[in-house]
Amino acid sequence: MQNILQRYRSTSFDTQSVLKILMILVGLVLLASAFSQGVFLQPKNLVNLIYQNALLIVIALGQMLVIITGGIDLSVGSMLAISSVLVVLFQDYGLPASIAIALIASVAFGLVNGFLVTYVRLPAFVVTLATMQIISSIAKVLSGGGAIYTGLHGAEIPVGLGEFYKNTLAGIPYPLFVCLIVIGLAALYLRSSIGHYTFSIGGNERAAYLSGIPTRLVKMAVYVISAALCCLGGVLFVARVGMGDPQTGTWIPLDSIAAVSIGGASLSGGTGTILGTLIGVVILSVLNNIMNLLGVPPTLQPAIKGIVILLAVYLNSARKQN
Amino acid sequence: MRAKIYPSQVVGFAEQNSALVALVIVCLLGALFVSNFASGMNLSAILFQYAIIGFLGLGQLLVILTGGIDLSQGAQVAMISIITAVLMRQAGVLPAVLGSLLVGTVFGLTNGLLVSRTRMPAFVVTLGTMGVARGLAQVISDSKPIAIEVGSFVDFGRSTLAGIPVSAILWVVVSLGLWFFLAQRRTGRHIYAVGGSEESARLSGIAVKNVKLLVFGLSGLLSAVGGIIWTARLSSGSPLGGNGYEMESIAAVIVGGGYMLGGIGTVSGTVVGVLLFGVINSILNLVGISPYWQGTIKGILILAAVALSQFRRIDHGSQARRS
Repeated sequence: MQNILQRYRSTSFDTQSVLKILMILVGLVLLASAFSQGVFLQPKNLVNLIYQNALLIVIALGQMLVIITGGIDLSVGSMLAISSVLVVLFQDYGLPASIAIALIASVAFGLVNGFLVTYVRLPAFVVTLATMQIISSIAKVLSGGGAIYTGLHGAEIPVGLGEFYKNTLAGIPYPLFVCLIVIGLAALYLRSSIGHYTFSIGGNERAAYLSGIPTRLVKMAVYVISAALCCLGGVLFVARVGMGDPQTGTWIPLDSIAAVSIGGASLSGGTGTILGTLIGVVILSVLNNIMNLLGVPPTLQPAIKGIVILLAVYLNSARKQN
Repeated sequence: MRAKIYPSQVVGFAEQNSALVALVIVCLLGALFVSNFASGMNLSAILFQYAIIGFLGLGQLLVILTGGIDLSQGAQVAMISIITAVLMRQAGVLPAVLGSLLVGTVFGLTNGLLVSRTRMPAFVVTLGTMGVARGLAQVISDSKPIAIEVGSFVDFGRSTLAGIPVSAILWVVVSLGLWFFLAQRRTGRHIYAVGGSEESARLSGIAVKNVKLLVFGLSGLLSAVGGIIWTARLSSGSPLGGNGYEMESIAAVIVGGGYMLGGIGTVSGTVVGVLLFGVINSILNLVGISPYWQGTIKGILILAAVALSQFRRIDHGSQARRS
């Protein structure tokens, strides 16, 4: 019983952990405002932040679900890429149809990932490493290797899609609404019984299985959800840049895993919070933003990013040791 | 008494060494149906290219045996290539090679310290240090390739002995040394023990933390060797080099029968895994298959190999072969 209570606490709100990463975030924001003479906190810059990171938020939430079960999804970047390619490629049949096709394809890939991990019992790392290559190569075959701007028969991407990405409602950009809806759905999911099953599988899969939890179905579900969110990310990508690109998203698997880890989730499963993951994404994006504002040469940026990821994860892991 | 070979023994051997069987079959198919595949030039080209992955694979094997993973290898190749090139200009060949080996070892030990002394998972640690290595490579080189004009070093990258690339011979020698170390030395057995069960290893008096430090240090050293050979072959240091090499080395270890959670894996399997990827890569290129499709074929290959080893593990239960 106490175990369940503890687990519930760690799922809903882990005050100490959240405080620690919030402190890192506040520190970064202060640094940013000080060094950029206030440019950082200007609404325009903050809106930019959301523009640039809406799809990372969406995908990181899917990644979080997978990581909670103790798995990992390295194929998220290539699923984003193939979704963007499919949405543009099937533009001739209208936007809804093209999105539907991309969604069906992504879900199919998610099912393959889930099937191989749960029924064939292969390690998630290897499965998604392999499907990452496979999906990325199919995306390149479909698009002929490079970025595509029009459909099979030359249909253009509707102007409305790009406008949707730029427009605001009551000052809030639409992509932010998309994120809010996904966050809301994720919160509902984690609080439903299947969400609790997700945590218990990550905590101890055998025990979960023996207590009658349909472990295989729950694990399949997280890979499919992750894939569906990647498809949403792909649509957002097309809306933002107006093209389908098989080469995009190479940074997404590592960034999404880093965001979830910074947010306090353990890669061995069983823990993870939505709030933590969101803060993780924000820390990564604030960091990118600061480095650009300060004029840090792009060459040095991966090094600084790596050190910040390590620092954030270290602070979280030091807490768990006690 | 004469030793008899029973059919079941043959099947058993094939099951245990599926990567080797696959390598033999693929080589035979290549030799029979792909023109130029069996030519000396092509075979030595494969070895030139894959001896580098081979060194990374040996390092990756050690790390995976303890249940860890080293994602920073590819970035290390880039960092080492830049450091080699810079030192070569400033100080000459020997300081450049020794300095690069030292930097690689120190870098690997840093990974090891972070993994063994903090509770951060290896995946995250090496993900972070991957960024650091790649960043350092770009800062030092100002994101530009650095050409190397030292003749003896460039010649080393192209030299062959009886038609076999010297780098490949070096790889085989190091592999043999590592096999001896893993199979025959106490510390080598400790590496398997840590991967099998960290808790049991600790309770039986094995210095788990130092074993982990050691494997990451060796992975750094072997990545440095791979980086130096890569630099010699290219005759320049490039900050963008080695991209995705860590994925190839991980795949080679897994295809060669390694187990991601540690404790299972062999040097011979890893060597065969590296060669299998080299041969398949070569055949795909010779047959003229679009590079876009190659990812699909390699991905399916990895999945098939892992699925096969998984069924073997379920069949044999705890009898899984260790070394």
